[in-house]
Parts: sequence; structure tokens; C-alpha cells
Amino acid sequence: MSAISRLAIGALALSFALPAAAQTKIDFFFPVPVEGKLAREMTRLVKSYNESQKEVEVTAVYTGGYDDTKLKAQAAAKAGKPPAVVLMSANFNVDLKLSGDIQSLEPMLKADGATRDAFLADFWPALHANAMVEGELYSVPFHNSTPLLYYNVDHFKEAGLDPAKPPRTWAELADAAKKLTKRDGDKVERYGFTMPAGYDYLGWLMEALTLSNGGRYFNEEYGGEVYYDTASMLGAARFLEDLIFKHKVMAQGVVEAGGVSTSFFAGKASMMLLSTGSLSFIRENMKAPYEVAFVPKNVRNAVPIGGASLVMFNGQSEDSKKAGWKFIKWLSSADTLGGWSRFTGYFSPRKSAYDTAEMKAFIAKNPDAKVALEQLPYAKPWFATYQTVAVRKALEDEIQAMMNGKKKADELMRPYVEQTALKLPQ
Amino acid sequence: MSLAGTTGILEGVDRGPVVVPRRRPRRRSYLPYALLAPSLLFLGLFTYLPVVRVIVESLYDHPHGTGAVTATFVGLGNYTKVLADPAFRQAALNNLVYALGTLIPTLALALAFALAVQRSSRFSAVLRTVFFFPSLVPLVAAASLFFFIFLPGIGLLDYYLAKIGVSGPNWLGDSDIALWSVIGLTVWKNAGYYMLFYIAGLQNIPRDTIEAALIDGANAWQRLRYVILPALLPTTSFVVVIALINLLTSVDHVIVLTRGGPSNATNLLLYYIFQAAHENFEIGKAAAATLLSVVVLLAISLASMRIMSRGSHHEA
Repeated sequence: MSAISRLAIGALALSFALPAAAQTKIDFFFPVPVEGKLAREMTRLVKSYNESQKEVEVTAVYTGGYDDTKLKAQAAAKAGKPPAVVLMSANFNVDLKLSGDIQSLEPMLKADGATRDAFLADFWPALHANAMVEGELYSVPFHNSTPLLYYNVDHFKEAGLDPAKPPRTWAELADAAKKLTKRDGDKVERYGFTMPAGYDYLGWLMEALTLSNGGRYFNEEYGGEVYYDTASMLGAARFLEDLIFKHKVMAQGVVEAGGVSTSFFAGKASMMLLSTGSLSFIRENMKAPYEVAFVPKNVRNAVPIGGASLVMFNGQSEDSKKAGWKFIKWLSSADTLGGWSRFTGYFSPRKSAYDTAEMKAFIAKNPDAKVALEQLPYAKPWFATYQTVAVRKALEDEIQAMMNGKKKADELMRPYVEQTALKLPQ
Repeated sequence: MSLAGTTGILEGVDRGPVVVPRRRPRRRSYLPYALLAPSLLFLGLFTYLPVVRVIVESLYDHPHGTGAVTATFVGLGNYTKVLADPAFRQAALNNLVYALGTLIPTLALALAFALAVQRSSRFSAVLRTVFFFPSLVPLVAAASLFFFIFLPGIGLLDYYLAKIGVSGPNWLGDSDIALWSVIGLTVWKNAGYYMLFYIAGLQNIPRDTIEAALIDGANAWQRLRYVILPALLPTTSFVVVIALINLLTSVDHVIVLTRGGPSNATNLLLYYIFQAAHENFEIGKAAAATLLSVVVLLAISLASMRIMSRGSHHEA
């Protein structure tokens, strides 16, 4: 997929190189964080924007995953060519602001005569925290997600479970997973439960489990504090440990997102935690009937949001600032967001996107798209700290060690204090 | 680049025997310099200047982010920090296991392949192509392919293992096995390439030494052990150097398959350097780690070249 889309982008970039003088040309970096043909669709969107008006010419640059996109945008900024607009993982804002890479969007709001509150009013309240840093608007939400529980309806029926009543609590989840797991002697033919545990995904899902356990992952008010060694976080780790080693309903070791969805398609896993962003991909590729449900709770229903927001890098000329802001406003309009949401499975950050006729028809046809929306009132901000990637990896390395049986959940997080203490500003 | 630097390079060339042959008259000609200038310029800009910059950067502490730009001189502080970092030690250890674990089977396979296909026949030509084929696949593509081969439970490998009643482990997700899976992929990828060197080496062995051994009544194993292997020593030490450099400088498959995980189990030095530089923004530490690994590589190469020259004397 990516080779073709890169070609397409290359061709597009070439075609942009030709025309006209009065236009402001800006670069737009975007990632493709989940499976599916997102790069092609984004290229199509940008092309239609370029054709719709004459003042701004946007060059769309596909920059890999979330982490790669941050890396490339910062590298470009260091090299003196900061991209005007970047679709950035929504939890990097704090880090990018602290490192001086992105600019506050408040001046643009002011120039438009808008207030922050009025601007944010149409966005779901759960998204506001990640859009702001230290009380100022730094990013505009573009596509958002929460984790969901996907489950195979046929397996549920076969195991004597009611597909209309998915597990709502951790106890019910463990119970269902036990019934769904199929064994042949010592060999496991089918696992009851699976989830991605590679870097990046694991941190997000650990936040989901910790929140469901009544805990917090980080200090929302201060980017230099995480709660890795708390009872609620360790409880979440212990829950996974039980699923793997006590109940044996989840495979030992780490499985990346691609392996998780493939085993779900192949009927080798009956339930999985995965992003709403993958919903369209699952819908297209899953042969057997499936359903989606809330992430089961232990103490409360709570999930982190995920997804990406549009940010503007520092070091722009006035013209490209204006052009970038204009492009952001178009990309984050209810129509564009609605179309993108229908294409990907991410939910639209704008409430008004759901008032359009297309969206109503789409949801009537695909009721699974509604579940993420219904889960939204329970959503919390995504962890966003200083040096997010390194701080997140400290947790992930520990959890992965536990999933491999190298450490007990109760022994986790000893090294984290040393590792993160070095990085976080005092 | 400063003028002093430029003349320094030119002086270096002046000493070289190829450029200014001795029997030329004293009259200085600028033509050779003019001809060399373009390559020298690019060599300087893209090879030597970065090396110098890495050395300089390894001595400074660079604050995170573009907002603050002042770097502070810390002497060898970055080196002590790197050496004290458990992640670096693990990456170094992983790299050692990875290098040895890859090198030995790769060389053995390459030699075995070469011995099997050294004679020219239509059949061995086909075999050569088959053995060489993995080298044609880019490492990233090979890794993407192996992602599906290694998928736990449903991958190609587990599919065939299941047919003989074996249930495979979690190839890339088990921290005890992941590195060996990466090693397996690398051996698959490289053996055919080094086979080429061995085929060339085998063809350089004089027929009469082998025939003499035959007349002396040496069996196949003895011929291999006492005639062929010693004669292949220069080839082997060359291949070892090339292979080691290759093993330290390509981590594409690690990035595609595991990103160093689980829990750093497949983290190799180069990927550690990448993480230090781009995930943790510790440029100084990354530069120090780079220099450390380059020093190790240089030492290995020098040692290997010494063996190689000794080997060729022996042959002469």
C-alpha cells in the first residue's frame, strides 16, 4: 500500500511544483497510524482542497506512523524547513510545546475574532484537554479514537455466551475468555482474548485498563509526573498477568497490532482490544460476524482518547501561517471530518459532523460506529508528558517483561523511577 | 569548511603514491588537484565533516528541543553516561549475540552452498540462483515478509510446524526467542550473498594442490580441513569483516519487526543510537554511542585484516 501511496504523493508533489505565483505553498505532514488505505484518501482530500481554491497550495507528505511523523517534523524544523501544518498524535503537544516546536493557535483565533471557548464548543468535551497546553489552544482535533472491545459473534454462540451481552466488567471478561478459549491438550487452538502489546499501542491500552481500574496514568496538570507505581496501575498489570498465566486465555509474550487483527480475522482469537480507528479495516476484512462493545471496567467505565490533532510549527512566514490556519479550518470542518470518519472508523471530533444527512445514514447502516461515540462521555485525556515516547517506553518495557513471564506484576516499575526521574524536568 | 582543513586533505593526497608518481619532474601541476577536487569536496562534506561533527557533538550536552539552543561542554560525560546505561549494555550484549549468532551459521551455510554449487552445470546454476535469491530482497521487504511468517499461531512457520504436531512459540513476542528469530531472518538473507565470495575463493584454489592431496590419499573431509579451508582463509577474513560491518550497520528488520522490543530484547546498538537521538533527544549520548561502536568495528576490521595478510603470506 505505502509504496503506491508514496508514488501517488510523489506524483502529486511534482504536479504542485509547476503552477502559479501568487499562491502560498505549504507543507502538510500526515501519518497513517492504523491499517487501511488512509494515505490514499488523505492525498485525495488535499487534492480536492487545492482544486477548490486558488490562494493556498498544500503539499501532502506521508510521514509514516505517529512517532515517525513527530521525528520527521522535528527534523525538518531543525533543518530550517518546518512544515506549516502537521497531523500529530494528540499526546505529543505537551512535549512539542515544551521543546518550542509548535505555536499557540490563540493569535489565529484572535485574528478571526473568535474565542477559544466558542471554537472548542463544537468539539467533544473529552478532547479539550489534549488540544490545549497550559491553558492555551495548541492543536485542533482531527480524528479521534478510543479503545473498543471487538468480539466474534459466532464464537460467543458456540461457547454458550449471549452475543447481545458482551462482558462489561473485568470479571465477566475473564470468565468469557475462559469459555471462549479452545484447548487441545496443552496446545491452545484459540485464545479468548488478545490485545496489541508493541510499543506505542501498549502504553495506550495500559492507560485504558488503569483508568478502568479507577486510576490515572499521568498528571493532567503537570507534564512531569506519571503514576506507574500506583496500586491502580499495578492492578491493571496484575489483571493482564492473570489472563496470561493464571487463566491462560491470552497468549504469552508480545503480539503487535497486525498480529492481533490477523488472529481475530482467522478466528484464532475471540475478543480483542483495538482502536476505533481500525473499525473500517475490521469491517472490510472480517468474514465472520463481529460486534464491538465498551472496554470492560473494574471500577468505572473510562478510556483514554487517542488520535491526532492538527498543529502548526514555529518558524513560519506570516503568509504561510495564514495559509496553514486556513487549511486547518477546512480540514477540521464538519464535512471533511465526517467524511474522514466514515472512511476510517475514527470518530469525528466535531459534534456537528453527526448532524449531517450522510452521517445519519452511515450510522443507521453501521451501528458499530456508534459504540465509540457512546463511550465518549467516559473518555479521559490521553497521557501527554515531557518526552512522551521515552517515558511511555519505560512502562511498556516493564509490562512486556511481565507478559513474557520475566517479572511478576508486583515487582514491576522499580526501574521506571530511575529512568523517568532523569528525564522529567524538576 | 576551513581553508586549513582543505589543504590538510590535499597534503594527504600529495603523499599518496598514485597521484604523484616519483619519476615526474619537480614542476608542480595543479591538474591532479583540479581533477580530484570534486570528489574530495564531496568526500569531505559528506564523509569527514560528519565524522568530525559526531566527535564534537559527543563532547557536548544538547538540551532537548529547538527552543533552547545552547549546548554545554561536558568532556567525556556522555561516554560515562552511555556506558552506565543498562539499555546500552543490553544493546551491546544483544549485538554481540546477534553478530556471533548470525556470523557463524551464515559462514557455514555460505561455505556449504559454495561447495555444493562450485562446479558449473545447469543444475548448480539453478541452485546458485535459488541460494542467492534472498540477497536480492531488500531487508525491509524481507522483514515485512517474515512478519507474516513469524505471526504467532497463524504464520507460515507455525502453520507447517502444526502439521508435524509442534506448536511454535511467539517468535517475535517472546523476549527469549525474539532475537533468535531476527538472527534466523538475517542468516536466511545473507548466506547466499557470502556464498558468492566463497565460490570465487574456491575457484582460486590451484587444482594441483587438491590433486596432490588426492594422490596422497586424503579423503573429502581431510581435503576440506587441510587444503581447502586454509586456502580460503583470506576469503573468510574478508567475509568476516564485511559481515560484521553489515551486522552493525543494518537494523531495518528490527525497526519493521520489533522496534527493539519486547523489553529491549532485540535492541541493537544502531537502533539504540537512533532512540537516543530521536526518541530521547540525547544527541550527545547518541554521538558517544556511535563513536564507541565505530571504534569496536575498526578494531575488528584491523584484527581481521592482519589475519588476512598473514593468510596470504602463508599462501604465497
